[in-house]
Amino acid sequence: TGGHTTEILRLLSCLSESYSPRHYVFADSDKMSEAKIRSFEQKRAETFPKSQFTLDRIPRSREVRQSWTSSVVTTLYSILYSLPLTYKRKPDLILCNGPGTCVPVCISAFLLGLLRIKRTIIVYVESICRVETLSLSGKILYYFSDYFIVQWPDLKKKYPKSVYLGRIV
Amino acid sequence: FRFKDSLAEDVQSADLVISHAGAGSCLETLEKGKPLIVVIYDKLMDNHQLELAKQLHRDGYVLYCNCSTLVETLQSMDLSTLKPFPPGQPEKFASFLDKVFGLQ
Repeated sequence: TGGHTTEILRLLSCLSESYSPRHYVFADSDKMSEAKIRSFEQKRAETFPKSQFTLDRIPRSREVRQSWTSSVVTTLYSILYSLPLTYKRKPDLILCNGPGTCVPVCISAFLLGLLRIKRTIIVYVESICRVETLSLSGKILYYFSDYFIVQWPDLKKKYPKSVYLGRIV
Repeated sequence: FRFKDSLAEDVQSADLVISHAGAGSCLETLEKGKPLIVVIYDKLMDNHQLELAKQLHRDGYVLYCNCSTLVETLQSMDLSTLKPFPPGQPEKFASFLDKVFGLQ
């Protein structure tokens, strides 16, 4: 969604073409991200003409302030939905930065790793908005990610297993 | 106007920006080097938006206030106290990932 998409595109801005093809996964209810992504990829194709990317939509796992019990149900549904997608793409790397959408995708990749089907490296970058506290996605994925990156020193202190590189967006 | 695809032009030609505490709005404005007053309105906001605005204020990059103190802030503000905002460094992230994948 919105801010998350802008941030993640900034994270991608300096990556080499080794990080290709790029598979973008976002919520079916998200109207604006597709345009931002296409614009980014179009620009990228000017420097890297062989650039490849795909777009996949998944059901949104949780609305803002949705109740706990219904969130568990919708997230489980999203995980089930994500499994075939993650299986199909078998990514080497999942990069995410916090929208609820990323949790089921990461969990499904984690499960595929447990089942020895595909080992995906999960890199989570907490949003720049998060200075003192982690988002809910962050709190969950702190335990499931291979690398958990925070952008403010307070979070590094609170979450010692995280990586602090300063502001990267 | 209600919605535009991009406020970039408007921000570019402004002398002062008054905005809600959304990260995108704050960062876009700061990156264009425009003075920014962030307005907090508790009813609509998650606490986490407040975190960034508070930190940016602590670091001296923005002024902040709430709806009822906006006028007072505008009257008494001293924009010269605001510090220039250094850009983020996505190249550090790229470097980090390259190391993870042994791509240096």
